[in-house]
Amino acid sequence: MTVPVEHLFILSAILFAIGTAGFFLRRNVIIVLMSIELMLNAANLAFLAASRMHTLEAGATEASLQGPLFAIFVIVVAAVEAAVGLALVIALYRNQQTVDLEQVTALKN
Amino acid sequence: MANALFYLMAAGAVAAALGVVLAKSPIQCVLSLLASFFCLATIYLLAGFQFLAAAQILVYAGAIMVLFLFVIMLLNLGNPSSKDGAEDGLFRRKGAFLSVIVAAATMAAGAMAVTADGLAPATQPMPEHGIDTINGLAGEMFGRYLLPFEAISILLLATAVAVVVLAKRDRKDAGKGS
Repeated sequence: MTVPVEHLFILSAILFAIGTAGFFLRRNVIIVLMSIELMLNAANLAFLAASRMHTLEAGATEASLQGPLFAIFVIVVAAVEAAVGLALVIALYRNQQTVDLEQVTALKN
Repeated sequence: MANALFYLMAAGAVAAALGVVLAKSPIQCVLSLLASFFCLATIYLLAGFQFLAAAQILVYAGAIMVLFLFVIMLLNLGNPSSKDGAEDGLFRRKGAFLSVIVAAATMAAGAMAVTADGLAPATQPMPEHGIDTINGLAGEMFGRYLLPFEAISILLLATAVAVVVLAKRDRKDAGKGS
């Protein structure tokens, strides 16, 4: 693949922007969590693009491994976040019978 | 050929991400997110990250998506019109301004990345076996990054305990049944 690394960064920015829009706009808690996953994925793509950039800069003799390593850590954190978030959604639904963020106002004011 | 596949997959990832934000039913959102993950895994593969592509499929598409689907089906949220929120639309109006600001800032950062100097030309050769060989990753992870590795192991263990505590019924409710 001879795609310039800038295009990977642009794709990452677009995906992050879409995820942000979903996070702020959607009313369903589960879809808000999915938007967070989307943003974490975009961050992963940026890590890998940076790693690819540094590997190419070094003349491909030495692989830059920080990017993939932190991407692995991000994947683990995403799994943890999904598990805890969905457990919270279940607890919320049990208490209030809703997943609509507009109706969850227990901490308001 | 590989370049065309990259742009195809990039367009697919963006379209699927838009599907997550715009789809009515939560099930459609989950399936769109799944498509986005597969497109991104292909892009990782094309960019020279074999192990990350495999991890993306296994962990994201295999584990996290199943978790989302499981909760949606458990709470019976598949039909958007059956429950709350149908009459007021899918979106919160208050968030629109914030999301526009953050999205614009992100895109500006991406544009700056494009215009920055010193980015490597793409025509240089890649390492023969890809960038993230298991050998190299293991050497780093159990060498220089051993402490973060242990920390994230403890995080996983704590999460397993916390999720059981959170999702468990309260003890005083347990006697009432249902």
